Amino acid sequence: MHPVRKQRLYLVLFVVLFSSAAVGLVTYALRGNINLFFPPVDVAAGKAPSGQSIRVGGMVVEGSVQRSDSSLDVHFELTDYEASVPVVYSGILPDLFGEGQGAVASGVLDASGVLQATEVLAKHDENYMPPEVADALENSGYDHKGNAK
Amino acid sequence: MTRPGALAFSARVLRRQLVLAVRRPVEIGNPLLFFAMVVALFPLGLGPAPAQLSLFAPGILWIIALLSNLLTSDAVFRGDFEDGALEQLLLAPQPLFLSVLAYICAHWLVTGLLLALVSPVFAVMLHMAPAGIAALVLSLLLGTAVLSLVGGIGAALTVGLRRGGMLISLLILPLYMPVLIFGSAAVQAALSGLAAGPYLAILGAMLCLGMALAPLAIAAALRISVDA
Amino acid sequence: MWSFFHKLGSPPWLYAISGSILRWLLPATLLALAVGLAWGLLFTGPEARQGNSYRIIYIHVPAAVVALAGYYVMAIAGAVNLIWKMKMADVAMKSAAPIGAALTFIALVTGAIWGKPTWGTWWVWDARITSMLILLFLYLGVLALYEAFDNKAAAGKACAVLSLVGMVNIPIIYKSVDWWYSLHQPASIKFIGQSTIDSSMLHPLLLMIAAFYALFTCCLLLNMRAELLQREARTNWVKKLAVAADSRG
Repeated sequence: MHPVRKQRLYLVLFVVLFSSAAVGLVTYALRGNINLFFPPVDVAAGKAPSGQSIRVGGMVVEGSVQRSDSSLDVHFELTDYEASVPVVYSGILPDLFGEGQGAVASGVLDASGVLQATEVLAKHDENYMPPEVADALENSGYDHKGNAK
Repeated sequence: MTRPGALAFSARVLRRQLVLAVRRPVEIGNPLLFFAMVVALFPLGLGPAPAQLSLFAPGILWIIALLSNLLTSDAVFRGDFEDGALEQLLLAPQPLFLSVLAYICAHWLVTGLLLALVSPVFAVMLHMAPAGIAALVLSLLLGTAVLSLVGGIGAALTVGLRRGGMLISLLILPLYMPVLIFGSAAVQAALSGLAAGPYLAILGAMLCLGMALAPLAIAAALRISVDA
Repeated sequence: MWSFFHKLGSPPWLYAISGSILRWLLPATLLALAVGLAWGLLFTGPEARQGNSYRIIYIHVPAAVVALAGYYVMAIAGAVNLIWKMKMADVAMKSAAPIGAALTFIALVTGAIWGKPTWGTWWVWDARITSMLILLFLYLGVLALYEAFDNKAAAGKACAVLSLVGMVNIPIIYKSVDWWYSLHQPASIKFIGQSTIDSSMLHPLLLMIAAFYALFTCCLLLNMRAELLQREARTNWVKKLAVAADSRG
């Protein structure tokens, strides 16, 4: 083979080989759950460290929000439909926070498995719809994602 | 005299760069000294409270490694550019891809590798728990290699400019950021008792991609800078 | 067909054709922006959970989409210059950079304004927002590198290399919300299957995205025309234009 073409062939092979290795490593890594937030199932299984600041993300369990009468304390639970984590927060919650909505709480997990949150952020999903559509879905027995309740 | 094959040639380039570096041990020692002094700055500035320092230790160590790499990246090609050796390299029949890899490998061997090996000492100075040290060394070994490759791109783009200085930092810091994110996350994970494997795999992936593509960019940039 | 591309390589021809395109594109863009904004801001109902604060989507999403597309335009134009040595592609790359940077900045700022009432914070270091910030730094790096070279031909080629290196960031920005659990929500406009945004809100959004693409093209052409006049200032065709403009008053 022409020496220059041989060089180019080796070069192309090298690039392809290492790019594929990169893709393979990324696939391995993404399967290993490197989220920046802990899902409740990991927290319940004891995989999250206590005594350190962590972030837990999930949906606020319906009926779990309890506000105190005398202070800004609020108790609620976050779930990923496999496990739940109780959260305690003292402060003003964002407007979008609500039961059945997504939220991310950051704070310290105490010895009894309760997250003492220092910050609660509301996450909203990718569904946008006018209030009438949302009400109609609600009345006909579907949740806001269009899934049957 | 027969023309040396591509691998033999790049091995010679590597050896040359290493010999040149070793002849100036001050230039190898300077980044390490910088690392040590900046590590000392943190307890001095933030207060020596062990608990707080150990909390931030992974990030601090990684940021300082990044900054030391930034300082040494500028000089990778400058010496050879100024005395014309680089132009000779560009005219050589051996593929520039491999020669460039040799330059970067030499740079990593005298900066990133040493930094990674010395880092446990500084980790202890910042009261980092021993659980994180293995992840620290591994993440630095992989990460500084990526930093050397990316730094090489910045160096090649700016080697011909007189007022390079700050510019190389502006160019390569955005590309350094993902390496920092995953490097320090690997150490944080190890300290929390979680697996650092996935983060190290991502650093490995960056390294593979960098080794495949950065030499192409560096070679193109060197040709542009020398022709300018 | 290729003769069209060859003609694009001629500065006076490019100047002339960009002028005739702008003559209709500029008013069309302004009209589309006006209609889209009015439709989205005034004539669409509030959202079920976010109320009226979601309306910033009509600026935030188009700006972000076109910022990403603009980076590809810049990188591909740079590559065309590197490979085929087409100087007009170099002009296109240089003209695209500041527009893309501005759009990225707008996307970040409107995102922060949206985030404060809805998420509860101005800024969060999640995957998509961090990689958009990196995109802004990449754009600014290209601008800085161009200015640092005295030899502008070399500057164009160096910026082309830098833009191509930064191209790895774009798929990461796009896919980051799918790969990692992040605060930023996943895409609502789906290319396959049903979009998860109600059509009364989707249509003005699509119009605004088209309008922003048109706006990018207008700004690009305007910048390119200015750059062309600067580069070719000593040629006859520019002198003729200057004399004609002078005599028109």
